[in-house]
Amino acid sequence: MNRGNQLKQMFLSQSRMLLREKQVWFWGIFFPVILMVIFMVIFSDGSDDEFRVKVVLAEKEGAESAALRERIKHIPVFEFVEADPVPVEKAENMVKEKEAAAAIVLSGEGEPVTLIVNKENERSTSSMTVQGILNQLVQQANLEAAGASPVYQMQTMSVSSGEDDLDYQDFLLTGMIALSIAQGGIFGMVDFVEMRRKGLLKRLRMTPAKMGLFGFSDMLVRFIFSVFQIILLSLIGVFFFGATLHVEPVSLIIIFVIGIMAFHAIGYFFSSFSKTSEAFFGVANIVNFLMMFLSGVFFPIESMPGWLQPVSDILPLTYFVNGLRDSMVYAQGVATLPFWIGIGVLVVWGAAAFALGTLLYRNNRSIAAR
Amino acid sequence: MSVLEVKHLRKSFGSVKAVQDISFAVEGGEVFTIIGPNGAGKTTTLEMIEGLVKPDGGSISFGGLTWEKDAETIKKMIGVQPQSESMFDLLTPKENLELFASFYDRPMRPVEILETVNLLDHCNKKVKVLSGGQRQRLAIGLAMIGDPKILFLDEPTTGLDPQSRRNIWDIVLRLKEMGKTTILTTHYMEEAEKLSDRVCIVDQGKVIALDTPSALIGKLTEERELRLSFFDGEEAAMDVERFVRAHSWAVRMERDGKYLAVWTVQPEDMLHSLFGYTKERGYRVDQVSIREMSLEDVFIACTGKEWRD
Repeated sequence: MNRGNQLKQMFLSQSRMLLREKQVWFWGIFFPVILMVIFMVIFSDGSDDEFRVKVVLAEKEGAESAALRERIKHIPVFEFVEADPVPVEKAENMVKEKEAAAAIVLSGEGEPVTLIVNKENERSTSSMTVQGILNQLVQQANLEAAGASPVYQMQTMSVSSGEDDLDYQDFLLTGMIALSIAQGGIFGMVDFVEMRRKGLLKRLRMTPAKMGLFGFSDMLVRFIFSVFQIILLSLIGVFFFGATLHVEPVSLIIIFVIGIMAFHAIGYFFSSFSKTSEAFFGVANIVNFLMMFLSGVFFPIESMPGWLQPVSDILPLTYFVNGLRDSMVYAQGVATLPFWIGIGVLVVWGAAAFALGTLLYRNNRSIAAR
Repeated sequence: MSVLEVKHLRKSFGSVKAVQDISFAVEGGEVFTIIGPNGAGKTTTLEMIEGLVKPDGGSISFGGLTWEKDAETIKKMIGVQPQSESMFDLLTPKENLELFASFYDRPMRPVEILETVNLLDHCNKKVKVLSGGQRQRLAIGLAMIGDPKILFLDEPTTGLDPQSRRNIWDIVLRLKEMGKTTILTTHYMEEAEKLSDRVCIVDQGKVIALDTPSALIGKLTEERELRLSFFDGEEAAMDVERFVRAHSWAVRMERDGKYLAVWTVQPEDMLHSLFGYTKERGYRVDQVSIREMSLEDVFIACTGKEWRD
C-alpha cells in the first residue's frame, strides 16, 4: 500500500474539512481577533494619546492669585474647558453636569485653594490626579513663598524583566495567542466525538486504513492551523496596536509544540467520555472559561486575590501563556528554570490527559462497537 | 467453494445473548440475505464477520483466512456499508471516495463508482446536503471502492422512499452482474425475495430457516387464499358460499357482504367447478384473486411473530 498517497489524501481531506467547518473559523479566527481588538481598544492607552483631565478654573471675587493661576495653566495634563476663570457657582454647575471633571477655585492669599469634584467621581483616577497635582503645586508655592528649595524630588520609572518598551499590547497579544491555540486544541477535539457518534472511527477500522497515519495527519493539519493563528494575531497586534515582539525562536518553537500537544490531549480526554458534542462543549466551556480568566491571559495573575492564585498555579494555560510571553516578548531563551518548569507542567497535563483518554476509549470500545 | 463460512457463532453483551448459535456458508457470486426481527442478532452477526466485534465462540473463515491471523488481507477483500451513515459530511462524494480509495492497493476509480451508484450529478456537492437515498448510495459506493470480493450491506434501504429503494436494488443487481458476493440484511421481505439467491432467517440469535426464497415459500404450505366478489351482491356471495361448503373444498371461509375469501389446498379444482356454477346460475364475478404466499408468511410461520417494518 502506498503510504505516501494515503497520507496525502488524509491530509488533503482533513485540511478541507477544517477549512469548511464554520465553528473553526469562528472560534479559531474571528473570536480571538475580536476579543483581542476589544481588549486592546479598551485597556491600552494608545501611546500617542496622552492622559488629559478636563478642568475649569474659578475665581472668588477679588482674589489675588494671578501667579498661581498662570502656574496651573501650564500644567500639561489639564485641559481647560473655559479659557478664562468663571464665577464659582458656574464652575460648580459645570462639575455637576460633568462638563468638567473638577473645578479649581482660587481665592486670595491665606485662604485655601478649593477643589470641587463630583461626588460620583470622587475616587476616580481623574479626580485623584487633579487632587495630587494641585496638592503638589500648592506645597511648592508655599515653599517658594518661604524662600526654600525642595530637598527631595521624585521621578517614576517603569521597568520590566525584558526590553524597555513592554506594553499592555504585548502582554495581551501573547495572552490571546496562547488562549486561541489552547481553545483550538481543546475545542477541535469535538471532531472525535462526532466521528465516534457517526460511527466513522468504526468505519475506518473496517478498511485497511492506517489509523496511526490518520491521527498523524490530523495533528499536522492542526499544527499548521495554529501557526496560521499565531501569525495572524501577531500581525494584527503589531500593525494595528503597535505591539512590539522580541522573539526567541528556539524557546518559542518548543513551547508552541508542547502546548499544542498538551491542549489537544486535554480535548482528547474530554472527547473520551462525551457521548454527544453538546456534552463535550459543556465540559470544555467550563474549563475554558476557568482558564481564560485565571491564567493571566488578560491581566497579570499577581493582580488576582491571593486565595485564587494557587488555582492559577495548577492550570496548564498559565504555563503556556507565560512560556509564550517569555519567548515572544521577553526574548527569554531556553536556559531558564521557569521555562523548563512550564514545559514540565504542560507535559504532565498532556500525558495524564492522553493516558486517561486512551483508557476510557479502550473501556468503551465494546459499547461503541455494539 | 464457500467464500465465507461461519460456524456456531456466539456473542453475549452482559446478560443479553445477542447471538446464540449461527452457522452458514456463502457461495461466491451470490446475494445472501439475513432477515429477522429487530434484536434478532443480525447486526451483531455482521459485525463479528466484519471483524469489529470479537465472538465469544465459533469460527469465521474467509476461504481459509481468519481474523486472528489474516486481518489485513481480509480487510482488503471485504467492503462494508454499515447501518450508520458513516462518511465525512464536509467532503463531497468524490472526495470521500478519493480518501477511501487511498486505503487500498488496487482501488476502483472514483468516477466509475459514482457512475455505478448514480451520483455523477452530485459528485461536487457536500455530503451533508445530499438526500437520504443519495447518502445511502454513496455508502454503498464507499464499500465498493476497494474492489472487494465480498460486500456487506447492512439494511441499505431502511428509511428510504420507494424510488430510492428501487435505485439501490438496481445497484445490488449490478454488483451481482459484476460477480461480487453480497451479504445483505434487510427489514423488507419484498426486497429479500427480489434480490436474494438465498435467505437466512434469524430469530433470537439462531438460524431458523435457510434456503432460496422460492424453496422457503414452497416448503411452507400448500394452502392458498382465494378472494372473490360479485356484481350481484350479497345474495350471490351467500349462494356461492353454500356451494363451496357443500363440496368441502375450503379449509376456512370468510364472507363480508359481497366479498368472499376461501382458503383451500385445491385451488385449481375449486375454481374450475366454481366458475361452472356461477355461469350456470348467471352470477357475474367482479374480481377474483389468488394471493401468493410470500416470505412474510414464511417468516410468520417460522417465528410465530407478526412482521414489523
